Amino acid sequence: MAAASASSFTSLKSRPAPGLATIAAVKSGAPLSFSFRRPVPAVSRLRISCAAKPETVEKVAKIVKKQLALPAETPVTGDSKFAALGADSLDTVEIVMGLEEEFHISVEEDSAQSIATVQDAADLIEELVQKK
Amino acid sequence: HRRLPAVIPTPPVSASPFPNPKSQYCCLSRNFSAALTPLLPVQLPSRMETHLWYVVPDEVKSAPLLSKYMELLPQSERDHVLGFRGDQLQKSALLARTLVRTTIARYQVDGHLDPRSLRFKRNIHGKPEVEWETKDGFCPPPLQFNISHTSSLVACGVTMNSLIGIDVEEKRRRTKNNILAFAKRYFTAHEVEHLNAIPDSELQQQEFIKLWTLKEAYVKALGKGFSSSPFNTFTIRVNTAAQESFCLVKARKEASSGIAVETLDSPQNLTNNWQFALLELMGSHYVAICLERQETGGAGKAFPIKLTARKTIPSVEDELVSGTNAVVTIGGSVTQF
Repeated sequence: MAAASASSFTSLKSRPAPGLATIAAVKSGAPLSFSFRRPVPAVSRLRISCAAKPETVEKVAKIVKKQLALPAETPVTGDSKFAALGADSLDTVEIVMGLEEEFHISVEEDSAQSIATVQDAADLIEELVQKK
Repeated sequence: HRRLPAVIPTPPVSASPFPNPKSQYCCLSRNFSAALTPLLPVQLPSRMETHLWYVVPDEVKSAPLLSKYMELLPQSERDHVLGFRGDQLQKSALLARTLVRTTIARYQVDGHLDPRSLRFKRNIHGKPEVEWETKDGFCPPPLQFNISHTSSLVACGVTMNSLIGIDVEEKRRRTKNNILAFAKRYFTAHEVEHLNAIPDSELQQQEFIKLWTLKEAYVKALGKGFSSSPFNTFTIRVNTAAQESFCLVKARKEASSGIAVETLDSPQNLTNNWQFALLELMGSHYVAICLERQETGGAGKAFPIKLTARKTIPSVEDELVSGTNAVVTIGGSVTQF
């Protein structure tokens, strides 16, 4: 299962009113153009996905440092990879367990396996917290 | 112990300096001009054999040697090694790549012996495999391998044909979480019961580590990734005689105690496709090996695992350690050669 994405996007669904769209010749490479007589219909689905809050990243970093017994001043950011910090599979599972306790969430095994960086963990946490 | 002599170094060749300033080996490699010595070939394991190779990172102290190991790796693997934070992590990552490359090269598949020329790929589930050159008339051997490492031990298991998974862990590894809480969350009910029944907390800790390594070895042997076999979907069962023999068996060449895996979706049938060995290495580490069963003896009984264990410093020396105090079978049916 893919880890929650750190990018932000909005997705807007709309359809041209039938019979009103005009399309310029594609072969010539001219841009497609549509003309509408009516305004764009109501949005059918809107979803915004953003990177996790810095506080969440901080909390994750703290739990990771504790599990791996890293000095407090060790630079751990969203980009930091668990494995590169020295986490083996047992550490990773313990970190996930720590995150579950800290944030009162339950992480499915396949989600846990997809966590490679601190950011991945933070994003997943916020997604699970929101779903509660 | 049988110790093979270190090979005499070849005449000096100018070393290529490391471009990467992050590497501590950068300056040192300029002073050391001898190339790595040629690797001594080794016979492929027979179909029924398992070869276990291991390196103790603390015994590999020569910075020039380590920089020579770096030179065996393609740039992508060097970058991967240097991506680890700190010298100790980088060193064990380097030794893991070096061990797998030099070991496989020594089997001289297709006649040549260059660890640099080996290419690796991952199967669709992410399990590393050798990518043999597709040349006319060349039929790649069914060589199987798996690596595991901690900062204090790097190990590689090799078989011909049999899928293999290995996992190593320090005996004294402590979990940050309470063992039973952890087991309740991630292991099966039977395994929790097994751990719960151990009154001594030190023994309970060790038993936990043994279970963990056996479960890891199984998933790695399956090669389908951890998400396809979550730890709470299969039980590692150890038979009663074995529970006592975990403590009692010492330095015996042959040990027989049953370890089996049972998947939750077919609880009535112990999954007979897999056999296990659990070893205590140098008194300090557990090594779990999981192998695909190739053949059975009469009445479905499995042959013991035929194991050859060698401690090595790649390109420097090997030491055959099977049957010595360095490698003690503490679980599974194993014959050491």
